[in-house]
Amino acid sequence: MIVIGYSADPFGRAALEHGIAEAKLRGTTLLVINSTSGEAYVDPRFAQSSEVHDVERHLNECGVEFELTQPVGVDTATELLKAMGRDDAELLVIGIRHRSPVGKLLMGSVSQHLLLECPKPILAVKPNEG
Amino acid sequence: MENLDWLIQGFGQVATPTNFMYAVIGVLLGTAVGVLPGIGPAMTVALLLPVTYNVPSSAAFIMFAGIFYGGMYGGSTTSILLNTPGESSSVITAIEGNKMAKAGRAAQALATAAIGSFVAGTIGTILLAAIAPPISRFAVTLGAPSYLAIMLFALVAVTAVLGSSKLRGAISLFLGLAIGVVGIDFLTGQPRATFGIPLLSDGIDIVIIAVAIFAVGEALWVAAHLRRRPADIIPVGRPWMGKSDWQRSWKPWLRGTAYGFPFGALPAGGAELPTFLSYITEKRLSKHKDEFGKGAIEGVAGPEAANNASAAGTLVPMLSLGLPTNATAAVMLTAFVSYGIQPGPTLFEKEPLLIWTLIASLFIGNLLLLVLNLPLAPVWAKLLRTPRPYLYAGILFFSCLGALAVNVQPLDLALLLVFGLLGLMMRRFGLPVLPLIIGVILGPRIERHLRQSLQLGGGDWTSLFTEPVAIIVYVLMAILLLMPLILKLLHRSEETLLIVEDDKDQREKAAQS
Amino acid sequence: MTTTDDAVTAKPEKRTDKSQYLVCAVLVAVGAFVIFDALTLEAGFAEVDPVGPKMFPAVIGVVLIVLAIILAIAIPRGSVGEADAGEDVDPDAPADWRTVGLLVGIFVATILLVNPLGWAITGALLFAGTATVLGSRRYVLNLVIGAVLSVGSFYAFYSGLGIPLPAGILDGIL
Repeated sequence: MIVIGYSADPFGRAALEHGIAEAKLRGTTLLVINSTSGEAYVDPRFAQSSEVHDVERHLNECGVEFELTQPVGVDTATELLKAMGRDDAELLVIGIRHRSPVGKLLMGSVSQHLLLECPKPILAVKPNEG
Repeated sequence: MENLDWLIQGFGQVATPTNFMYAVIGVLLGTAVGVLPGIGPAMTVALLLPVTYNVPSSAAFIMFAGIFYGGMYGGSTTSILLNTPGESSSVITAIEGNKMAKAGRAAQALATAAIGSFVAGTIGTILLAAIAPPISRFAVTLGAPSYLAIMLFALVAVTAVLGSSKLRGAISLFLGLAIGVVGIDFLTGQPRATFGIPLLSDGIDIVIIAVAIFAVGEALWVAAHLRRRPADIIPVGRPWMGKSDWQRSWKPWLRGTAYGFPFGALPAGGAELPTFLSYITEKRLSKHKDEFGKGAIEGVAGPEAANNASAAGTLVPMLSLGLPTNATAAVMLTAFVSYGIQPGPTLFEKEPLLIWTLIASLFIGNLLLLVLNLPLAPVWAKLLRTPRPYLYAGILFFSCLGALAVNVQPLDLALLLVFGLLGLMMRRFGLPVLPLIIGVILGPRIERHLRQSLQLGGGDWTSLFTEPVAIIVYVLMAILLLMPLILKLLHRSEETLLIVEDDKDQREKAAQS
Repeated sequence: MTTTDDAVTAKPEKRTDKSQYLVCAVLVAVGAFVIFDALTLEAGFAEVDPVGPKMFPAVIGVVLIVLAIILAIAIPRGSVGEADAGEDVDPDAPADWRTVGLLVGIFVATILLVNPLGWAITGALLFAGTATVLGSRRYVLNLVIGAVLSVGSFYAFYSGLGIPLPAGILDGIL
């Protein structure tokens, strides 16, 4: 089972595409996690219902077996690590965004945290240029 | 007309570059804060009160006028885009507004809310300018006994609001009165309830109480129950309206204003009732009844206009009689007091320039709202991305800042904490906040009036009942107080009075379907 | 009425019952204090001021105690004040008093530290502390925002409004 850290932006979509490709390659299932800390009234990375429908339709069309969850009130990194702790989890796919050192200091970097903490393989992707 | 002269002078004051800047700041601040759910205009004005300490009074009031209307507009923006109303008076707007937004008509919803608010605000302010001075002139002719009766009526009206627990209203009120006791007795010069602390001899600064109860109490309460769930937000471009939208909106705007203004002007009126009534009326009169519940533009136009007109209406008793009828008016009144201006019927006589400047800035603020906020709506939507911890940390920060600015004394911070905990307790146990603030503001004035009237009457208690107005007011008060008993005799409860319309509505709906 | 009915209806109300007694206690405390304080006052000039400085507080105090009694009677009868349900309030979650306690603690620390350490430092700590307690885990960002706010407000109030906030140990630097 492949875990995908999804967010409603190009990075998350890139992760989704690469995750689908890997799942097809390995012939395994997908677990798509789109979480939010719920701290703000509006979280642009949290997929709204219309986007959720689009994603589910896309996944159905690709013919991959999947599960899509949207946990609320949790820390994204913790949630993804928890998912990777499952026995059947084999790969984590995340989209990474560029963070300057100051940015990392001030706002933290989920990707960096995951890369360092996750015991299993991670596929870190960026959206296509242009 | 002399008043027109004053009004023009007021406009002149607002038109100066610095004051105009204050107006713009007020509008922007008010909208920004109004957009954020959980922070109402009352809290905004309370948090900004300390800013007014060294600013000239006209500038401060110009800013407040902007905050007043800006806060209401911000609240309706949120209720349309998020379906989470910023305050109770925006609840109705959220019903149709959010549905419109979900159907892709957010721009129209925002536009009708903004323009409706402008129309209602302008008409409301005109009515205010026309009605308040005569009321004020009449009130000045009243003697101390009548004025005392009116103030007592205001206390009772705020406590005995239809549909709420009288016991809890009374508890709030008397706690407020007790807080008002702190200070030096004006006739005999003795300190009362000052705990031996000399700093308290001037009484507890009303600003601190307002900030503590509204801001700190709210922040602490939210901290105890912080919700962690983002809401659906609807992306929106610039608000605008098509021709048919205009045609469908203009009458609800006028009807909404007609509902809102009287309710706002009367004590115990409130802003929820007129918006509700406006909604029901628009639903009945509409040619597009089936759209209601799915996004009918009349359902946004009417209630929003009612909302704003009611806000203008609350300024009538505040400016003409010095009686606040809702939380925001109460906080603005404390601003008056902090400038050493005595609110009351003599306000128009003693400080005409200030009052008319305030009224002029209401007009200007209204206009600015329309001009600035329509293009800025997407920006306000972005504000909603602020994480809640920062929001409430900010509230606590600015509360402490404000309290400290009063006297630069840590004691004030301690008071802030104590009253903040009181505010927390009140929110936990459902004690209404408004009676407490009104008790603090009006308590000392009532006591002063009572003792002065008795002094003038030679110590005779019956002198309180000698004026006809006083007697009429006392009778009204008695009716209001005895309302529950009367209703019981008629075998109806207060709740049925309020939801009578709703029942009829539901039966109609059932009959139609 | 069977006893099981009683038990069922009594139980869910019991929780709110006890906590509302807190309100009664506060009412009695305030009322008693006000009355006691009033009694220590000297009477006014009785002829022209029949009310005197004592009456108002005394009446208020008495009413408060009466209200406390009424409330105490109403509580077992199921009288419940509807807790304020705001936008950010999740009424289903149990109350998080620990957070409130921490916030109060930070408040107290602010009160004690603001004069010695000055507003610039204390304000920053206040903001960062409350933001952290409320859930924001970006500690460094919290401190940075706090510092910007506190220093900014310090200068704004001083130059813009002429109000000198406490400078504390940074006196002379700022």
